[in-house]
Amino acid sequence: MSGVHLKSVRKTYPNGAEAIRGVDMDIQSGEMIVFVGPSGCGKSTLLRMVAGLESISGGDISIGDRVINDVSPSERDVAMVFQNYALYPHMSVRGNMSYGLKNRKMDKAEIDKRVNDAAKMLKIDAFLERQPNQLSGGQRQRVAMGRAIVRNPQVFLFDEPLSNLDAKLRVQMRIEIKRLQRRMNVTSIYVTHDQTEAMTLADRLAVINDGLVEQMGAPMELYNDPKTLFVASFIGAPQINLIPVKFDGTTLSNGALQLAGFSGLPENTDLVLGIRPDVLRVSGDGQFEMRVDLVEQHGGENLVYGALLGATNNEGDDLEVCLKGDKEMLPDLDGTLRLGFDSSTAFVFRKDTGERLI
Amino acid sequence: MLKHQLRSAGNHAILLAGVAFMILPIVLVVVSSTHETALLGETGLQLLPGAQMVENYTKVLTLEAGFTDQITALDMMKNSMIIAVGVAGLTTLVSLLGAYAMVFFRLPLAGFLFWLTLATLLLPLESRFINTFLVADALGLINTHLGMILPTLTVALGTLFFRQLFLAMPNEYLEAAKLDGAGPIRFFFDFIVPLSWKRGGAIFVVTFMVGWNQYLWPLLISTDESKYTLVRGIRLIGQESGPGMALIVLSLLPPLILVLIFQRWFFQALADEKNAF
Repeated sequence: MSGVHLKSVRKTYPNGAEAIRGVDMDIQSGEMIVFVGPSGCGKSTLLRMVAGLESISGGDISIGDRVINDVSPSERDVAMVFQNYALYPHMSVRGNMSYGLKNRKMDKAEIDKRVNDAAKMLKIDAFLERQPNQLSGGQRQRVAMGRAIVRNPQVFLFDEPLSNLDAKLRVQMRIEIKRLQRRMNVTSIYVTHDQTEAMTLADRLAVINDGLVEQMGAPMELYNDPKTLFVASFIGAPQINLIPVKFDGTTLSNGALQLAGFSGLPENTDLVLGIRPDVLRVSGDGQFEMRVDLVEQHGGENLVYGALLGATNNEGDDLEVCLKGDKEMLPDLDGTLRLGFDSSTAFVFRKDTGERLI
Repeated sequence: MLKHQLRSAGNHAILLAGVAFMILPIVLVVVSSTHETALLGETGLQLLPGAQMVENYTKVLTLEAGFTDQITALDMMKNSMIIAVGVAGLTTLVSLLGAYAMVFFRLPLAGFLFWLTLATLLLPLESRFINTFLVADALGLINTHLGMILPTLTVALGTLFFRQLFLAMPNEYLEAAKLDGAGPIRFFFDFIVPLSWKRGGAIFVVTFMVGWNQYLWPLLISTDESKYTLVRGIRLIGQESGPGMALIVLSLLPPLILVLIFQRWFFQALADEKNAF
């Protein structure tokens, strides 16, 4: 097995559009890295550059010690699982899985062995002679995985492989992919826009925004210690509460909302206070009040949504906040709740650069 | 309920009238091919069968016609077959290769080349007979099968049909195949050919009929009677004679059989985009 290394990687399209604007990354051998970001951020482009499906405009990509910038996709020793699976419609499941091996002139007995082993591992050995259009979505997904596994590559590449499945199957396949990756211990890059998938699958996450890696690290590291406003708002479900504020030397304020206990922040600058829904607590001596307008019951926990009293967002409208509580928390609609938080668990960001100050 | 039945009966009547309108000329020809030439000459096409069927068909199949009595109906059938298969085969092959190059190779001028190909539809063969004849003559193609085939290829339509099919093909097939180690030639034989099979069959059938029904161009380019096609041969035998009618019926058979065999493919490939692959 080998790691993947990206050095100042850039992608500029002929029309001048910059998709990737200088990415450095060291992926260790056997590691599962997830690229996460909003659509259009460049995460798929970066993955396709590793696969060789997009050319590299600048910088170097290497697998192990070998720079692969100009190596053809089939010689990079990578296997990819596509979003729509891209199963060959005119070939049986066996044909799909063995095609790449046949092209590599592998011995017939070895091909059969690999296909049978992978099929057994993925529980598709009963469907080997079927055509792709005779399979369910989940089975097709497994065949796509099988096609990658039989290649026994240095690197697995996954391009949103679960987004065509229904919610239940998605969770199930997510767990299977994680197990499989652990067991095979193959370096993997996984692209998704689903932050739950990202948090649960990744050894390390790379949050990508506008062609740059905003932050890279273990999922909980990004959750607990986001370096930028973008990372804080992208990681975590429900989303972090963001409150535009100003600092006057002792307190953070937004209209009637006054929060003491902060220091060392720039004055006369637009700031954003970030509080995770799970660090907010209902408490009689809390710092602010919310007017409840919706309670979502998720079974084991409830999410309470409402407007923060006294404060407004940048457009001058009510500022929505979310509070995470246990399943017994069922406040009256249109009632008010007094909320508090420990200021050491909150983040403060500069609004203009997104940089985190506290 | 009654109203519904009446409307249904009315619809059927309209459809039946349409069927009769389409099929009547063919019935007339088939029925008339069983009559004596003299009767046809006096009273025109017949609606009821006559007694001359065996004689007429035997005569046509064994007849040696032409100025020098050197060509038989079977020879003409063979010529027609060579030309129709040639036109259909070459059109299908060239269109397939052309569309493959235009869609998958990201040629810098692919769009322009496609429209240029399509623009040839604006110049039917009839409008460029003289130029085409001069070119065919310069190439020594007068009185050859190839000379009757090449100028009548309908590559523009074939390319259009294949191109639309390839554009509907998910790009990931190509990308997955690339990762699986398939180069352009392997991709062509392992993916393009098997995935275009149905549409290729449909294009073959349509262009077969174009080739089979050629009249004017073969008339211009061939003086040698041994190169006559069936459609031309009808004139030779006399289109208002009993044997002439029999020859017309014979000339209808090959395209008809082809359509009957391939009709399912045909409709699937051209009408049903969802099951195109």
